[in-house]
Amino acid sequence: MDGSIGIWLAIAAMTCAAVFAVLIPLSRRTDTAADARDVEVYKDQLAEVDRDAAAGLIGPAEAEAARIEVSRRLIAAAERAGASGAAGEGMSRRRRIAAIAAIVVVPAIAALAYGLRGQPGYPGQPLAERQRAAPQQSDVATLIGRIEAHLATNPEDGRGWEVVAPVYLRMGRLPDAVRAYSNAMRLLGVTADRQADLAEAQTIAAGGVVSAEAKAGFERALALGPGHPKAGYFLGLASEQDGKPEEAKARWTRMIGEAPADAPWLGLLRSEIARLGGTAPAAAAPAPQATPGPAQIRAMVDGLAQRLAADGSDFDSWLRLVRSYVVLGEGDKAREAAASARRLFAAEAEKIARLDSLVNELGIGGS
Amino acid sequence: MTTIGTPAPASRGMTRKQRRLTLIGLALGVLGLAAGLVLYSLSGSITLFQSPTDVVEKNLQPGTRMRLGGLVEGGSVRRGENMEVAFAITDGRTTIPVAYRGILPDLFREGQGVVTEGVLGPDRSFRADSVLARHDENYMPKEVADSLKRQGHWKPGDPAPNPNAPARQR
Amino acid sequence: MSPEIGHYALVLGLALALFQSVVPIWGSRKGDATLMATAPSVALGQFVFVTLAFAVLTHAYLVSDFSVENVYLNSHSSKPLIYKISGVWGNHEGSMLLWVVILTLFSALVALFGRNLPLSLKANVLAVQGWITVAFLVFILKTSNPFARLAPAPFEGRDLNPLLQDVGLAIHPPLLYLGYVGFSMSFAFAVAALIDGKIDAAWARWVRPWTLVAWIFLTAGISMGSYWAYYELGWGGWWFWDPVENASLMPWLAGTALLHSAIVMEKREALKVWTVLLAILTFSLSLLGTFLVRSGVLTSVHAFAVDPERGVFILAILVAFIGGSLALYAWRAPLLKQGGLFAPVSREGALVFNNLFLTASCAAVFVGTLYPLALETLTGAKISVGPPFFNWTFGPLMVPLVIAMTFGPLVAWKRGDLLAVAQRLTVALVVGIAAIAVTYAVTTGGPVLAPLFVGLAAFIIVGAMVDIAERTQLFRAPASVSFARARGLPRAAWGTAVAHAGVGVMLLGIVGETAYKQETIVQMRPGDSVQVAGYDLTLQALVPVQGPNYRDLVARLQVREGGVPVGMMEPAKRLYTARNMPTTEAALKTRGVSQLYVSPGDATADGSIAMRFFYKPMVLLIWIGTLVMMLGGLLSLSDRRLRVGAPKPSARRAAAVQAAE
Repeated sequence: MDGSIGIWLAIAAMTCAAVFAVLIPLSRRTDTAADARDVEVYKDQLAEVDRDAAAGLIGPAEAEAARIEVSRRLIAAAERAGASGAAGEGMSRRRRIAAIAAIVVVPAIAALAYGLRGQPGYPGQPLAERQRAAPQQSDVATLIGRIEAHLATNPEDGRGWEVVAPVYLRMGRLPDAVRAYSNAMRLLGVTADRQADLAEAQTIAAGGVVSAEAKAGFERALALGPGHPKAGYFLGLASEQDGKPEEAKARWTRMIGEAPADAPWLGLLRSEIARLGGTAPAAAAPAPQATPGPAQIRAMVDGLAQRLAADGSDFDSWLRLVRSYVVLGEGDKAREAAASARRLFAAEAEKIARLDSLVNELGIGGS
Repeated sequence: MTTIGTPAPASRGMTRKQRRLTLIGLALGVLGLAAGLVLYSLSGSITLFQSPTDVVEKNLQPGTRMRLGGLVEGGSVRRGENMEVAFAITDGRTTIPVAYRGILPDLFREGQGVVTEGVLGPDRSFRADSVLARHDENYMPKEVADSLKRQGHWKPGDPAPNPNAPARQR
Repeated sequence: MSPEIGHYALVLGLALALFQSVVPIWGSRKGDATLMATAPSVALGQFVFVTLAFAVLTHAYLVSDFSVENVYLNSHSSKPLIYKISGVWGNHEGSMLLWVVILTLFSALVALFGRNLPLSLKANVLAVQGWITVAFLVFILKTSNPFARLAPAPFEGRDLNPLLQDVGLAIHPPLLYLGYVGFSMSFAFAVAALIDGKIDAAWARWVRPWTLVAWIFLTAGISMGSYWAYYELGWGGWWFWDPVENASLMPWLAGTALLHSAIVMEKREALKVWTVLLAILTFSLSLLGTFLVRSGVLTSVHAFAVDPERGVFILAILVAFIGGSLALYAWRAPLLKQGGLFAPVSREGALVFNNLFLTASCAAVFVGTLYPLALETLTGAKISVGPPFFNWTFGPLMVPLVIAMTFGPLVAWKRGDLLAVAQRLTVALVVGIAAIAVTYAVTTGGPVLAPLFVGLAAFIIVGAMVDIAERTQLFRAPASVSFARARGLPRAAWGTAVAHAGVGVMLLGIVGETAYKQETIVQMRPGDSVQVAGYDLTLQALVPVQGPNYRDLVARLQVREGGVPVGMMEPAKRLYTARNMPTTEAALKTRGVSQLYVSPGDATADGSIAMRFFYKPMVLLIWIGTLVMMLGGLLSLSDRRLRVGAPKPSARRAAAVQAAE
């Protein structure tokens, strides 16, 4: 609480300083009227011209011209000074008004303007202090902050990158995840797992689309570790996205055939094959079990859709939803989502253009 | 201050009126010259900015010099021999293939905004002689900035909004 | 230190600025010395508070206080210290705050050093400065508050745009703003004169030092920006006629005209009304520049409409100040006593000629910059006006100007004799023609006109020397006499000659760079060589290098001249990891005043890399020329003559204050 007392003290002190910046000149007795003071200024100038001319700093002709001119002003000011002796009456009244303005209006304006946006109760949060204060709370953001601080000073610590990468992925910081995986791979060496993880992160970052780069990564992973399930799965997905579902089915079917019977990802492959309208070889495994597969993706996409139904202001989430429906093979829903987004952002041409280009790219045009 | 020089109008030089006319004449002359140059150059060095849809709808003729702008279509960039690059510019409705030879700007990326300047070819393809990723005051194309700010904070399995993008306080 | 202190300081600055906008001018109307005397102390108070706000924001950057949104968006805890500091003004909010800091700085300077200004002029000038401060502080607080907070505070910032992580950029905006905002002084003096309804030669002397200061800083800012674009963007150009550049060039042209017309006013009491108008226009163009860059209207008219609050607000400021001052001008200018007319062939005439061409070229740039905006707003058609437009309008207008520039200082006041001046310039003419002949003989290729421009540049440089030689009777009088005369020569005369020579030097650089540069683009693999302008460059290797917050792919090039190694060049393709943003780091090798310039493209999968090579003869003269021009400005500023009624040496002032107490 003492922090907030400090800020109030500071505010009070600053206000006083501002008020005094006005009051001090007002309180100074200025008996001479403005023009009388100007007379002083001009006399001073004349003296200066003479000094400069004597020192040879300005030419005689220039000095003479300056002298004539200043004298002319001097005479005019002196005349006005004589005439304005009567102006003194209004002075004390004006001074009172100015003083009131200083004491009342200046703080009032400051209070009003600050009141609109200010958050006096919210102290500053310097990073170093927060990192010192944080260690007992084990909240993820704090941990990440610490790892990041560590990595910032030791960017060559491959283990650190490897630890932080999946956390990024889980938090949805996808570009960071991609970078962390690639740093880990660069520093610790290429393995099938790392290569596949990196490519997976790239795929997720691209909204579920296996890019050419990611595809090459999966192929490398498969070359390093033949039969790598993650690589195989995503390469199948890539084939599907390239418009070759038969190839995808063939690849997945082959994988099921070669896999040990208790591999946890068999269920996922089966349901994927089923989604493409094929039949999975029944031979291998027992009943499909809870695998991180379409069901979970399904739930997540539904969650996203619900969230957007409640609050549709985040344009990028709409793009994601459209993509997700396409990945799930639900073209109608994708078109619906695109249409909703179009309605919501009709006024923003740049966003509509991005939406159009996505719709075009995904081949679900016609809305 | 009055006029400069000797008051005798017959002296070497000009009368007050002549001087005034000379000055006004000079001023008008310079203004005229400037206006002429502006109009002449303006007619010759303006290039119109077109979107791919404009190219189709306005039925622009091959040989038209213009600026073509839009998004670089995802997956369309192909690099060839000798710094030849082919890509496609799209505005969501229409897509135009573009050919370019040279070094692409740093900020050139698939899915990002780009402006190219060049000549329309016979088959509605575009031969660019310069490619810019447009700048705002940060020397950064606005589209790039936007998408960098909000790029993909989503992945399967994470329905929660990104915790690292706190809400803006007003 | 809580960021809230900065926020509150800013608000207090606004309250004081409001007071300053009203009370001193009221005092000046009533002839009340007490009210007028509040202006200096209130101006100082504003400066203190606004600077405090800026200091608090800087502190928030230094300690990475990400609870401040501005810090979160533009900083990163691992950023090097200098870029944490420059990050403060590397973004919209911070740069607007810097703008106001500089504005109040100039007010404070008038308050401190304007002791020998007549009281009412000083009060009016400070009141006008107060109006500008109010407008911009309201703008900042309403639409671009740098102290907006984030709760909860994020743990890491979003980093500064890597292109902006550069020493050049750390100092470029402050210089540019010192120039822009400096012209607010000329503006305030002009408006104060219009309010008072009187103006004379002394006014011009009071205005000239401020204008000169602003001009020097603006020259420095533009020059620095140009060099920054040259080496940082990696495109090899130094001036693109980009609207952002034009926005700073326009006030420079008008400000240069103002400097010269103020001389006529000071010496001959002529061109009063015109000088006042120029002072208003110059600052209006500075405001326009701020508007163009800050409103986002340049990116597209559309972007302006998407975030209309800022744009509309700053447009309103623009309209209010330009419209208001021009209306005041139309109303009050007829009251100002008209100056005299003069012979066309005279120093005055030459300065009028200068003004005509400078304002005409400024108008041409104005049209080229704003025509696309106007057209898009009116018809929706998007056009771009390319560099050829500017080259073809600006170029031809500059040629007569720079020729006249050589004659001008040699022509006498009141009535000159062109023939006599031409005779005195014979040496310069001969050198110019010789330069043309030599250039023709030595160069092959290049545009036909280029040697003529080389000759023109030589003519200008030698002409400026002739000016000094004539004034000191060099070679005609004994050396001791010449030396004495040179010492006795007003610094302003030296300033003129030096600044004009600077224009010649810059012209030489421009001609060399544009007409004789060599360029080639090659796809290279390690081991390959390329020949550029007599230099052999061999790509030895492509090496990855890890930096603090980026990763480089460095191309190591061995440079040989005539088979002899003269060093390495190491351009790089850089990736800033936090933003995943690639940049190009061009490499420069300076040979005399010429440079080799290498800019790498993307490396391809097969291990080759595209590289762009330039040889840029005399390119450094462009910036050396601007430095010489600034030196001329400084010499002129140090002239004793300008001190009459202008800032006095502080020592004597302090003595005077002590004596008064």
